[in-house]
Amino acid sequence: MSTPRFATFQGCRNFRLLIVLATLSGKPIRVEKIRSDDLNPGLRDHEVSFLRLMEAMTNGSSIEISYTGTTVIYRPGIITGGSYTHQCPPGKPVGYYVEPMLYLAPFSKKKFSVIFRGVTASHQDAGLEAIKWGLMPIMEKFGVRECALHTLKRGSPPLGGGEVHLVVDSLIAQPITMHALESPQISSIRGVAYSTRVSPSMVNRMIDGARKVLKNVGCEVDITADVWRGDNSGKSPGWGITLVAESKKGWRYFSEGIGDAGDVPEDIGALIAYELLEEISKSAVVGRSQLALAIVFMVIGKEDIGRLRITKSQIDEKFIWLLRYIKQIFGTEVFLKPVDDADSDDLIATIKGVGFTNTNKKIA
Amino acid sequence: LQGTKNRRRKWDIGKLIYMDNVSPSTCIKRWRGVEDDDENDENADDEEEDFFSKKDGAITNKSEADDDLEKFKPHFETFKNLMSKWSNFDSIKSRLVGTSRPTSTNK
Repeated sequence: MSTPRFATFQGCRNFRLLIVLATLSGKPIRVEKIRSDDLNPGLRDHEVSFLRLMEAMTNGSSIEISYTGTTVIYRPGIITGGSYTHQCPPGKPVGYYVEPMLYLAPFSKKKFSVIFRGVTASHQDAGLEAIKWGLMPIMEKFGVRECALHTLKRGSPPLGGGEVHLVVDSLIAQPITMHALESPQISSIRGVAYSTRVSPSMVNRMIDGARKVLKNVGCEVDITADVWRGDNSGKSPGWGITLVAESKKGWRYFSEGIGDAGDVPEDIGALIAYELLEEISKSAVVGRSQLALAIVFMVIGKEDIGRLRITKSQIDEKFIWLLRYIKQIFGTEVFLKPVDDADSDDLIATIKGVGFTNTNKKIA
Repeated sequence: LQGTKNRRRKWDIGKLIYMDNVSPSTCIKRWRGVEDDDENDENADDEEEDFFSKKDGAITNKSEADDDLEKFKPHFETFKNLMSKWSNFDSIKSRLVGTSRPTSTNK
């Protein structure tokens, strides 16, 4: 059991990322002590469901879970993709499952066409617009042009009833080497405010709240209303807003949020607008929630040096964990050096790609 | 006592990130130079103690969600703080296209 061939990790931290990195690198991993001190130890429903999804999207993977569920051994197979329908347990929204799929989908044998059913919004995980307008543009920058997330039904928490369709048609051999040394300028702010099974006035009130904050920002602000009614609006009432700041070159920063019962729509709108400004101030080329995807794509790029400008505030615990896990699995380190500009504290993250090639595709 | 303060090293974040015996939260603290009263002077041997206490400590001290890192949404300050911070857009002005236009937009 204790063969040193496994890269061993402890705790449930970044569980999805570990599985994704292991799959991309082809290295078996062992995750131990998953909530071993918890009253209810072991993997949660959503993690098991995620493993099932991984099993469906790959061929030849083997997953061993210990009796208590506190240890998982994962031996990755090849990424096969294809058509699949995944029923997401209600604890986590579809974004939780879609997000890791984005890391794998471009390097699959067949095109990804996966339908996810479940809750489509939450406070913590990626919302639909965040994926569509936040993460997919990043993939585009790395050469994954044809990917889309179609919203067939929205389903607010707690009951859900939403349905989304993830389609990734570009299968690429490896991501393009990134050179992004300048912080892009934002040319417009877009957004969407949506609601399911509540009065459409909620949507307009959220837009008002956000607009008020962004009134003097100096660029075009365009927030659309997206009201869902009838069968396609899921089983629960809910509402939320996503704001995206975009540059001419296609970089995006975003913030998103949903309202709970008792929240004032204007406040949520304003809060998300403030969060967008905060996110812009903390980001260089990519936002904090986009950083992991960008870094991973840089790591699995060509054997060439990729460069990405980041800010000081983007170096947080999450970033350090990411880099440590990448080092443990891929053996690659990220070098950080300050930018030449004296006015700025930004850093350039320099990464040499591991020369990953999409072997899955060649076999087909 | 003064000496210990001056001896505080300026940490190189590039190295700190890959020092596996230092927990990420400590990395950040050291790098940002946040004063941590407990480990003011004992850098070297503290690392190991840190290492041992962190493992059990991380699970019990922090809420599980914090440790999870599965959260997609980054951390933001409270509404009030954000509101007072962003009463104007001066700090991100350079990032916005078209702010070279009349500066009156800020008033």
